[in-house]
Amino acid sequence: MEAAILAKSLHQLEVKVLRAYGPDEDLDAMRLVRELNYKEGQANQAFSWLLAKGLASETGRIPRTVYEITPLGREYAARGTPEERILRHLSENGAARLPEIVAALGLEQKDVGSAFGLLSKEGALVMDSEKRASIVAGWFEAAHGSGEKPRVALVRDLLQRAASRVDGLLEEADLVASEKAVLAGIARKRGAGDSPFRLAERERVIYRLDQNAAEVAKALDALGLTGEELGAVTPEMLARRYWEGATFRPYNVKSPTARLIPGRRNPYVEFLESVKDKLVSLGFEEFDGGLVETEFWNSDALFMPQFHSARDIHDVYHLAEPGFAKSIEEPHLSRVAAAHENGGETGSRGWNYSFDRDFTRRLILRSQGTVLSARQLPTAKVPGKYFGIARCFRYDRVDATHLSDFYQTEGIVLGEDVNLRTLLGFLEMFAVEVAGAKEVKYVPGYFPFTEPSVEVHIKHPVLGWFELGGSGIFRPEVTESLGVHVPVLAWGIGIDRMALMALGLNDLRELFSPDLENVRYRRAKM
Amino acid sequence: MPKIEVNEELFFSLLGQRMEAEVLEPALTSAKAELDEWARPESVPASERIIKIELNDTNRPDLWSSAGLARALRLKSGGARPMYSFFSREGDRKPSKRKVLIEESVRKVRPFLAGFCVSGKPIDDAFLKEMIQTQEKLAWNYGRKRKTISMGLYRSAEIQWPVSYKGVDPRTVRFVPLQETREMSLLQILAEHPKGREYSFILEKEPIHPLLLDSRGDVLSYPPIINSAGLGAVQVGDSELFIELTGSDLPSVTLAASIVACDFADFGYTIEPVLVEYPFDTPFGRSVTFPWYFQKPLSVDAGRASRILGKSLSVDIVASSLEKTGSRVEIHGQYVSAWPAEYRNDFLHQVDLIEDVMIGIGLENFPPERPRDFTIGRLSPIELFSRKTKGILVGLGYQEMIYNYLGSGKDYIEKMGIDATQVLRVANPMSENFEYLRNSPLPGLLGTESISSKAAYPHRIFEVGKVAFRDASENYGVSTRQYLALLSVHAEADFNEIASQVATLLFYLGSDFEVAEPAEGKEDPRFIVGRHARILVAGREIGVYGELHPRLLEAWGVGLPASAGEFDLDLLRR
Repeated sequence: MEAAILAKSLHQLEVKVLRAYGPDEDLDAMRLVRELNYKEGQANQAFSWLLAKGLASETGRIPRTVYEITPLGREYAARGTPEERILRHLSENGAARLPEIVAALGLEQKDVGSAFGLLSKEGALVMDSEKRASIVAGWFEAAHGSGEKPRVALVRDLLQRAASRVDGLLEEADLVASEKAVLAGIARKRGAGDSPFRLAERERVIYRLDQNAAEVAKALDALGLTGEELGAVTPEMLARRYWEGATFRPYNVKSPTARLIPGRRNPYVEFLESVKDKLVSLGFEEFDGGLVETEFWNSDALFMPQFHSARDIHDVYHLAEPGFAKSIEEPHLSRVAAAHENGGETGSRGWNYSFDRDFTRRLILRSQGTVLSARQLPTAKVPGKYFGIARCFRYDRVDATHLSDFYQTEGIVLGEDVNLRTLLGFLEMFAVEVAGAKEVKYVPGYFPFTEPSVEVHIKHPVLGWFELGGSGIFRPEVTESLGVHVPVLAWGIGIDRMALMALGLNDLRELFSPDLENVRYRRAKM
Repeated sequence: MPKIEVNEELFFSLLGQRMEAEVLEPALTSAKAELDEWARPESVPASERIIKIELNDTNRPDLWSSAGLARALRLKSGGARPMYSFFSREGDRKPSKRKVLIEESVRKVRPFLAGFCVSGKPIDDAFLKEMIQTQEKLAWNYGRKRKTISMGLYRSAEIQWPVSYKGVDPRTVRFVPLQETREMSLLQILAEHPKGREYSFILEKEPIHPLLLDSRGDVLSYPPIINSAGLGAVQVGDSELFIELTGSDLPSVTLAASIVACDFADFGYTIEPVLVEYPFDTPFGRSVTFPWYFQKPLSVDAGRASRILGKSLSVDIVASSLEKTGSRVEIHGQYVSAWPAEYRNDFLHQVDLIEDVMIGIGLENFPPERPRDFTIGRLSPIELFSRKTKGILVGLGYQEMIYNYLGSGKDYIEKMGIDATQVLRVANPMSENFEYLRNSPLPGLLGTESISSKAAYPHRIFEVGKVAFRDASENYGVSTRQYLALLSVHAEADFNEIASQVATLLFYLGSDFEVAEPAEGKEDPRFIVGRHARILVAGREIGVYGELHPRLLEAWGVGLPASAGEFDLDLLRR
């Protein structure tokens, strides 16, 4: 990375090190603590960052011995060691038996016993004939007059020095001989819980700045960065107005960002909604319906003869239980039955077979969105435009191009004057507005419920020519039977190919992907 | 939809001209046909190359052959209507040298037969293939897998006329079928012969089976299963054939015979009528000479055609357009009477004629027109409410998911630990993976959890979609509802989290709700007892939420705690 860019990405802990030292100096954490006023943790952090950026290297490791104050040691530092407390008690209250001392100071008997042992060995305490302990007269004076501190005072010094440091450490290298001697008696390597100090072997790591550090230091200089710049904006900074006249540490605005997991809409659902919004903008009103339908509404009302091959058991899912609707609404049932049998009053010859009124009640999973159009007809307004995106079910082996359930987009247009050319007009609008097509062509099609029927093919900017949908004018056998006496344009458009393209997929199953990470990362081009 | 393979040379000779793909493709649209595949390696001569074509109109079986398709394209581009003068019709019965006698015994099983003979030239390999394809398409697609129509071809020179068609005992009658050298009983053929096994479903429940024999008693065929290895073994080089079609509906059988006869005529064969005598009444009388024209004329109003097609059309234009799709026409004022072509019977309503007018004129001659009626577009109330709900959930940090509705009993019932009677089952599932219709979106969400343990946590997911379940109060016995389900899975997921989120959701949806404990014994088995709540709006239960039971999590392979909720948005919206 270029030195100037690197310079901007440095933390102030790094900046100060780079500005303070040259490449030939041995550095270690303690030196930064002494000279830059770092805490040891900050010093280590600074080295670790500089290493990672290739601005410093480790040049050696020196073993060192440290004494770390234990929780017990911290307690002694605060309240005094048992020995100090015994001495203080005796000097304030005069001679006392050991059990009395135990009771008065709330110490344990063994601690008082061993403290007494040590102090009497050093000639500080003596036991009289009544087993009362007292301070040997003149001991204080003798001890302090000798020019050498007594052990008790040395321990106190050590405890206080260690307790005042954040890391609670005393470096052996910093200690004088008498202190080392004292610590030898009260520090343990293992099982240090009962001791005020733990003896530990550590390593002092030596670092040197690399040659390129000088270049970065120069860049820092050029940028005027001293490491004294302000860091994060804090409530305190705002309250006390530290920021006034100060500069802020610049951040590397190009550094990689952390990953967030936002709440988010599903892109396929958003795609479906965008199609709905388009259709609404073209004046269509949305309709909806149940997943379970009767043979009547699914096919009979659409004038598909009951013997039609698309109605075989291998094309439609039947419901096991309940198997049949209780009834079919009249007058629709009678009129539709008549249309099938002999045309009824629709002007048709009919299919010329005997309409099965039980079969028509059979419950199935909706197999085509056109059901919703048929259901809308009896209550539809004229003029009226309706659409729905309906989940449909097909008896198909599931693979990349077939699903057992999927969406169909369907609709109708009712009007006194709608005709083939208006139908083509709508298809053109769908092609341009919904599918973004540049070229459109129409060819005669076949659907059991429309006549004439037209397929619309479009040239998609990416996918090339494909069939966008099918449409037609509902047969009079359909509309007249459901009480509609104006022409009804019916259309269906296939939007799944566009959905796959928008989502960058090529397998229909992926539209309904259950894979969370996959869905989280998915983006749609819409 | 039927797909056919046509021999390139044969097809273009029938068409009267060669075409390149760029010309053929748009020309096919007038027959609702699509060019599927046309490989043209130089190494293969045109006489052996194949064009694959898909036909979309299931009501036009006449188009499912090279001859029929070529004929439609010829007519569309102005070719003359062929004169099929061999057809008999009411008051005009053609003489026939040959006769088929139908016996009463066949009436219950497969009552109708139509047939004719052809002669004139030896058949070649390409033509034999063409005939086999025609037979298959007619019998499989139009005849519903031979159930309502099947077809047989025979060496007519070998037949001792008259032929009889009768019902026989399938246990005792024996003959040698095609692809066999031994005599087999009819039942044996159904059980052992490949064609017998394929089509046994048509006859297996019948006590009497149909059989076609000549006057010597030699078997022609066992309709609709298999021809005999003798009279029924047509070969390249034969120049005299008997063709028959049998089935359950006389108009369909008759039409299928007419289609085949017209195809043979187009290939240059002479059609020789056959008289069929029935011992019972048929829609066409007791003795019928085939090919038989039975279609009735239908009349179309030029005014109505103009209104439907959005273009002012004179009666002459209507008439000439109908001729381009094969009809014979007569003009009466503003009406045109149309007699369908001999090979068609797809006019049920005058709109069918109007579509033919559209095709005759050419769809490209109808410019699209912008609609003029003004209507207000709007989304459904439940869609609007669902979108509002989704917006709030996204704000709460939830990822929206969408799932399929069909699934397995294992996922929808077993793993959820719920009562199976609530869930709707498909009677004819394709596989047990798609056997049930979901009654909740939760199995979908848990399915995500079971495969997404590597996705960064927390997982907060939801779906808004349809569910269905049994509901005796409905006419269908079933209700479909719009449901919301949400699921939160992470180390700290618990009741408190979901409770706060649900309260927030309902606050912004503007619902005054009450939280209630489930009555004892009425707990939801999917949740931990004591850690799930019912939500009541206006005293009515609209949902449930809480901590999912570890039993459920284990069944789904979820290794972290999960809280979830499920709500009926249709009820909540009210």
